[in-house]
Amino acid sequence: MVNYSEKQALIIEDFAEFARAVGTMLRSMGINYADTVTSGEAAIQACREKKYDIILSDYNLGESKDGQQVLEELSAFNLIKSDCTFIMITAEKTAAMVMAALEFQPDAYLTKPFNSQLLKSRLDKSITKKRILSPIQRAIKKKHYEKATQLCDSLSEEHPKFKTDCQKLKLNCLRESKQFNQAFELIEEILNRRATPWALAGLGKIYFESGELEKAKNTFLQMTREFPMALDGFDMLAKVLHMLDQPIEAQKTLQKAIEKSPKLVKRQKFLGQLAEENDDIEAMTKAYRQAVKYGKNSAFLEADEYVKLTKSLGKTILNNSKEDRAKLIVEAELLFEQLEKNFKDETSIQFRGEVAHADFSDIIKDKNNKERHLVNAQKIYERIEEHLGPDESIEIAETLKSLGLNELSESVIEEAVEQYFDNPDLVRRATAITNNKHLILNAKKANRLNTEAVQLFKQNNFAGSINYFERAAEIAPNNVNICLNHAQALLKQYQSGERDPEHLYRSEAILNEITRLPVTDPRYTRFSELNRLNQLILQKLE
Amino acid sequence: MKDNSESIFNMVLASTMHDMKNSLSMLGESLNLILSQVDPELLDEKTKDYHGVVQYESARVNNSLMQLLALYKFENEQLPFNPSYHNLSDFLEEQKLRHIPLLDAKSIDCEIDVDEEIEGIFDECLLSTVLENVIGNAIRYTKSAIKISCSQQQNTVIEIADDGPGYPEQMIVLAGDYMHGINQSTGSTGLGLFFAKKIASLHKHKEQIGCIRLSNGGELGGGRFELIIP
Repeated sequence: MVNYSEKQALIIEDFAEFARAVGTMLRSMGINYADTVTSGEAAIQACREKKYDIILSDYNLGESKDGQQVLEELSAFNLIKSDCTFIMITAEKTAAMVMAALEFQPDAYLTKPFNSQLLKSRLDKSITKKRILSPIQRAIKKKHYEKATQLCDSLSEEHPKFKTDCQKLKLNCLRESKQFNQAFELIEEILNRRATPWALAGLGKIYFESGELEKAKNTFLQMTREFPMALDGFDMLAKVLHMLDQPIEAQKTLQKAIEKSPKLVKRQKFLGQLAEENDDIEAMTKAYRQAVKYGKNSAFLEADEYVKLTKSLGKTILNNSKEDRAKLIVEAELLFEQLEKNFKDETSIQFRGEVAHADFSDIIKDKNNKERHLVNAQKIYERIEEHLGPDESIEIAETLKSLGLNELSESVIEEAVEQYFDNPDLVRRATAITNNKHLILNAKKANRLNTEAVQLFKQNNFAGSINYFERAAEIAPNNVNICLNHAQALLKQYQSGERDPEHLYRSEAILNEITRLPVTDPRYTRFSELNRLNQLILQKLE
Repeated sequence: MKDNSESIFNMVLASTMHDMKNSLSMLGESLNLILSQVDPELLDEKTKDYHGVVQYESARVNNSLMQLLALYKFENEQLPFNPSYHNLSDFLEEQKLRHIPLLDAKSIDCEIDVDEEIEGIFDECLLSTVLENVIGNAIRYTKSAIKISCSQQQNTVIEIADDGPGYPEQMIVLAGDYMHGINQSTGSTGLGLFFAKKIASLHKHKEQIGCIRLSNGGELGGGRFELIIP
């Protein structure tokens, strides 16, 4: 039995009387501490101040964030304990609501009206289940997949009631630790009994990760056919189709998922990207409009949606569509305003915004504003601290070139190529923009040297790989990948026997040169781990 | 244009539902609050009966709303259908809990007979709406007891039996045939069985399709409702 007397509970409900009724129910179950907030924003704040054991949230919170967004933010920003029980209270369980809960799912749903007995039963069960499965979750968090897999087996035996939960977790562990043969066995065992969406999803992902795209495609096709409400099947199918160079099919697939659940910003953005590739401006505009709309209350709001939407509004005007031109201009100007306001401390976004604004002014033949924004862009460019992403760099360089600012366009491209020469897609697109043939040749050369060096590194020939990394770094001294590889090779060389402190000082110096890597960059984790390791060894030296 | 007015209607319908269900919740909760402030010893039988009536009727309205909305969505191909594995003992226990106040008020004994480990594949939300109606009717017509049981061989069979007068013969023959189920004199709209049949038939596995079965003289001698899920 669960002891509720010491549990801290939070009720998130915009309807005061209902919140009071739920509070009464909680008290009748023996809960002594229950706070109530009336909006999603207040809930986030409350969770910053206090760690709750139980959260009961209404899905529908009026104008503020909805319950799902609250759950996502709390999870993403680590504001709730891993053993916190989150129950979503709903008037009705809608497709869009359940389907929007892809990555973060509440422990249980509870539909109104409910009585205290039912609430208690749900809480008892969710809390008990969490407690029983928690050893597995802890092992997964520490990435001890082998241990987690064993726990899945033993707990499933001990608690047959949670067999399915254990199987799901086990499949994830096997996939994460790349034990594909064992994973296939498990999937076969499940599918022999009966197809389940999660087993098919697991199978498709394994095919995907091992590069068997046709098989992945067929698995996801089967999943979308048999489980049309499991929308992640559509997402994954679209991704595979895109990689198989079938962007039109990918767009259609994603549109089916969007019809059922429009709320996922990530899905809308991917649709927008596909529509842009397919030159379907109407679909592009629609997707980015929805992305901005549903992202409005979210903490995951990104500048990208705004810029892309202004871009597609500009294209709509160029296409002489039936939409009212004046309204489109107002919409775009408002977006630029919000972009400037919401991201005023991020110079790279400001830069991108000014360039996009200049482009838009050019489309609507507003010469003065075009000049003004280009001057702003040039000023901001000098102050940019972090690297621009590959897609952003191409977008900006293309626009600048079309607006006649060749010099600035070239320097953006130059930086991007140096930074992302190992990204063939970027190099291909950069080649089409730049007039600097030397740049592309160098990129190819640096890529070759880097690849050789990585090969040698894999053969444990660290000294040889250092030599190649040095030559690659001569061509592309600011390339983060080369710097990280180089530093890692130096550390390995030190650790593998020679113990020459010179290696440590050099890797320290190389890592210190990396000053423009934003925390959001996928390479940041590796950078900080290498940094930590380097410092650790240096400290031992002293 | 049609697309637009339909989606507006969907929004209106959804928000009105939300509002109506909130109101119903509030009605029930307020009544519970009022009664909790009165010493139970002082409540006469009549008051307890009225309390039961309010609870039962508001639960019925709520349940009918859920069914109507689900059917509307079904017609528009928007009904979320999410079959997944569920533990039947947990599931049936919760179905009983929805009716606890009324079962207590009417002193009806409600037994659940199901193995702890049985798992079935079904849409929890939809099946719960079906069973809420069936159990509600059982409470209405039974004399003293209800038994909820579940067995599993090829299919999962959920059975709700009571010791009341049983189903009228005609209802058993026409089970779920909507047009013939309407009977103004008994107040039966046929909605519950029509809905149950529809939801059961959404559950498919290979060649098999879910169904319902009505009979009399079950374990407790009264009506027996069976829901068969492949």
